[in-house]
Amino acid sequence: MKPQNPIPPQFTEAFLSWFCKGELLEEILGDLHEYHEELLDLPNWKRKLFYWFHVFNFLRPFAIKKSKSSQSNATAMFRHNFLITFRNFKRYKSSFFINLTGLSTGLVCVLLIYLWVSDELAIDKFHTNDHRLYQMMENVDQGTGMITRITTAGPTAKALAEEMPEVEYAVSTTWVSDYTLTFNNKDVTGKGIYASKDYFELFSYKLIQGESNQVLADKKSIVLSKSLAVSLFGTTENVVGKILEWQHEEKYQVSGIFEKTPSNSSVQFEFLLTFEGFLDNNEWATNWFNTAPRTFLLMKEGVDIQGFNSKVGELVRTKTEGKASHRTPFITGYSDVYLYSKYENGVQSGGRITYVKLFSIIALFVLVIACINFMNLSTARASRRIKEVGIKKALGAYRATLIGQYLGESILLSFLSLVISIMIVFVLLPQFSDITGKQLQIEFNLSLLTWLSAIVLGTGLLAGSYPALYLSKFNPISIFKNNLSGGAGEVWVRKGLVIFQFTISIVLIISVLVVYKQIEFTQNKNLGYKKDNVLIVDRNGQLGNDRKLKTFITEIQKLPGIEIAASSGHDMTGHNGGTYGVSWPGKDPEDRTEFERMPITHDMMDVLGIEMKEGRVFSEEFPSDSSKIIFNEAGIDFMGLTDPVGKVIQLWGEERQIIGVVKNFHFESFHENVKPLFFWLSPGRTEYVMARIEKGKEQAAIQNLEKFHADFNPNFPINYRFLDSDYQALYESEERVSVLSSYFAGIAILISCLGLFGLVAFTAERRMKEIGIRKILGSSSFGIIGLLSLDVTKMVVLAILIGLPMSYFIAEAWLDGFAFRIALEWWFFIGAGFMALLIAWLTVSFQILKTANVNPIECLRDE
Amino acid sequence: MKKEHIGELEELVLLLIVMLKEEAYGLALRKSLKEQANRTVTIGAVHGTLNRLESKGFVESSLGGATESRGGRRKRLFTLTASGKKVLQKSRDVKVNLWSQIPELSMNKLG
Repeated sequence: MKPQNPIPPQFTEAFLSWFCKGELLEEILGDLHEYHEELLDLPNWKRKLFYWFHVFNFLRPFAIKKSKSSQSNATAMFRHNFLITFRNFKRYKSSFFINLTGLSTGLVCVLLIYLWVSDELAIDKFHTNDHRLYQMMENVDQGTGMITRITTAGPTAKALAEEMPEVEYAVSTTWVSDYTLTFNNKDVTGKGIYASKDYFELFSYKLIQGESNQVLADKKSIVLSKSLAVSLFGTTENVVGKILEWQHEEKYQVSGIFEKTPSNSSVQFEFLLTFEGFLDNNEWATNWFNTAPRTFLLMKEGVDIQGFNSKVGELVRTKTEGKASHRTPFITGYSDVYLYSKYENGVQSGGRITYVKLFSIIALFVLVIACINFMNLSTARASRRIKEVGIKKALGAYRATLIGQYLGESILLSFLSLVISIMIVFVLLPQFSDITGKQLQIEFNLSLLTWLSAIVLGTGLLAGSYPALYLSKFNPISIFKNNLSGGAGEVWVRKGLVIFQFTISIVLIISVLVVYKQIEFTQNKNLGYKKDNVLIVDRNGQLGNDRKLKTFITEIQKLPGIEIAASSGHDMTGHNGGTYGVSWPGKDPEDRTEFERMPITHDMMDVLGIEMKEGRVFSEEFPSDSSKIIFNEAGIDFMGLTDPVGKVIQLWGEERQIIGVVKNFHFESFHENVKPLFFWLSPGRTEYVMARIEKGKEQAAIQNLEKFHADFNPNFPINYRFLDSDYQALYESEERVSVLSSYFAGIAILISCLGLFGLVAFTAERRMKEIGIRKILGSSSFGIIGLLSLDVTKMVVLAILIGLPMSYFIAEAWLDGFAFRIALEWWFFIGAGFMALLIAWLTVSFQILKTANVNPIECLRDE
Repeated sequence: MKKEHIGELEELVLLLIVMLKEEAYGLALRKSLKEQANRTVTIGAVHGTLNRLESKGFVESSLGGATESRGGRRKRLFTLTASGKKVLQKSRDVKVNLWSQIPELSMNKLG
């Protein structure tokens, strides 16, 4: 008898039962066992080899266990749910589209605002030294109030670098201005700024040629941007070392080339000159009393900024030996300045960050409204899907599973909406960029994708939560008994949601109206001078010479089309420069209120149409007028002078007699009150030649002027603009707010209408039986229409009652920021209310008509 | 009715199942294949083919016949179903039809 030694069947068995399907195990093992018997004649090793070969050969697809049953269950469920969702979309196309539209619109808003906000937040943050970069500001106590500004004294940076050990580098710059550069008789205008030696150590503007610590070392250096170099020299090769001319006055040598200033830099310039050179030509900037340059610092690591600020606060007082005691410098993070530029009484109080927050809130609101709509509509049409829920529950589905399914549905819907909204955003982006004055792009980087997924999930969950919970809670028995309670409380929730949406829409409508009216006001109100048809020409080249200037002015007045001309040092669109060097009898010695300076030549009042209240204007008949002075009403009131004409005051230590008082006019935006101001004859200090052009003769006048200027001032291309467009530019940000809010109001209204539409559909369905009975009992279609409309009307009226006071407060708050503002008229509010009602009625008209005309039999047949 | 084809191995197995009558199970079929058709296949291949045939509905199976040489485990015995018989006949008919149309290969010449 042959010894039976089966190879460890235990191994085989264990191995096979690990990977083999349970039902096949017995027959396979049996066959293998039998086979093993046949192999007994063979040598041991051969037997084992053959046997194991056949064992492994069973590793075939048909024999291998399918993955764990729970997994297969989940995938099956997933596919099933997907299919059901898809069919649901196809069957109820209208609800699907309404939901899709609503969510997409909401997401478009969110996306656009997100792009804008992230751009705003990224401004100036690209510098590598950002965490150590600071700008110096000064708190100026004017005696009547505190103002904060970025203008500092010229020597500040140098003093800080030398005397303060906490400071690694300190840099002074001027402001950006247009200048003409010439090379080989080719003139190019570019934006330039003066900056001191260590500028590139602080700011990360990329130098393509030249070393950062050298390019601004020599006083005669100029650093060009790549594009400016190309426009001047045609190339960037071998440009360093070449000499070019600035304003046809001075020569500078190119010491380096930089890549252009990135779009998220708040300072945009095309070339740099040295600040040290600026000081040489501008002696006034070398003392501690005059402020205009900006100061920036790179602090060392780990410096206590608070401590530094208390130290540096005394800087101006120390340097002026206490004479300029009203100025307290301090430093603040450089990249914060763009967003947080508003100060009230020395305390930081917002700025652009307010708009960032505002629009973020708006985005959130719009999204919430869209989600609310989704909730409303989904639960409204619930009756259609109730049978599905009933069956599933009867078959044993857990509530959690159903909730999961419905949440999945809403997440899928929100994903689809996202895809659509991204496409819409692509289309709208160029226009939106225009409106906001930025260059916005969608970059699919990690942070955007994370945000998008978060938004999709969030929206889906938020919007789908209520419907999911609502649908899954139904008792299957009551569903099949056709016994849906619904409950009165539920209807109130829906109505509440619609009322909320309409309230927001009303607030937005009124806001749009108010902003529009205020802007209209700023453009149309009498400014106290005539801003239309006034041409401004910059004093370049030959015009810089005072005598030549006078000739120029005299001659151009003879040109056809030009009525009258003069020169001024003030551009009429904001604070240009002030001084507290005005003294009058009774002045508080501590008072540091600034009077706005307006150096002019003769006839300026006529050019601008400024009206005199008392006295007379400067006249060439009286040569002594060069030592006289004219104030505005605000100035006289501030000084507390009665019968001012003839009185004598002191300006910068010199006595001047007042010969006239002008009526107040707006030289700043309407945000500001009219401040004290004075005029004096000072041709040398003027910068802008202003000419009044005859109405209707603008073309001819400009042509003649250009020709004359070209002859008079051959090396400088004429640089002119119109005063009224300069003025309009003052309100650029308000314009922007106006345009954007009208778009958002439109969107809010659209979404609210969608919501209302959904609600009316729901209530109509609910009340089918009631309507059927009413009709049978004799109610006319009109009666039904009235009934349903009344419902809608009540809701909108409630929304109006809530919305009007809210918008009143909001409007008042915004208008408060203007010293000159419109009054809130009653018709703004009533009009908005009517508009809301009208929109609501229009939205539901179709639905109501359909319902009112329904055949009563249809609704009562259901039993 | 779906068009079902059977592969060459499948056809052989089907035929052998009929032949083996009561003893039509995995290992025996393998042995038969070797003896009758000179085909060497692994046990796993046979079982896979049988599985496939069953899922196509050409054979039925049942468990039975445990012996000691199998360690007390039963074997799965297969029988032909009606559709299995049909498909076999169809396959034969196709081949016969083709053969008869080729004069060169007709029995006269070969014989």
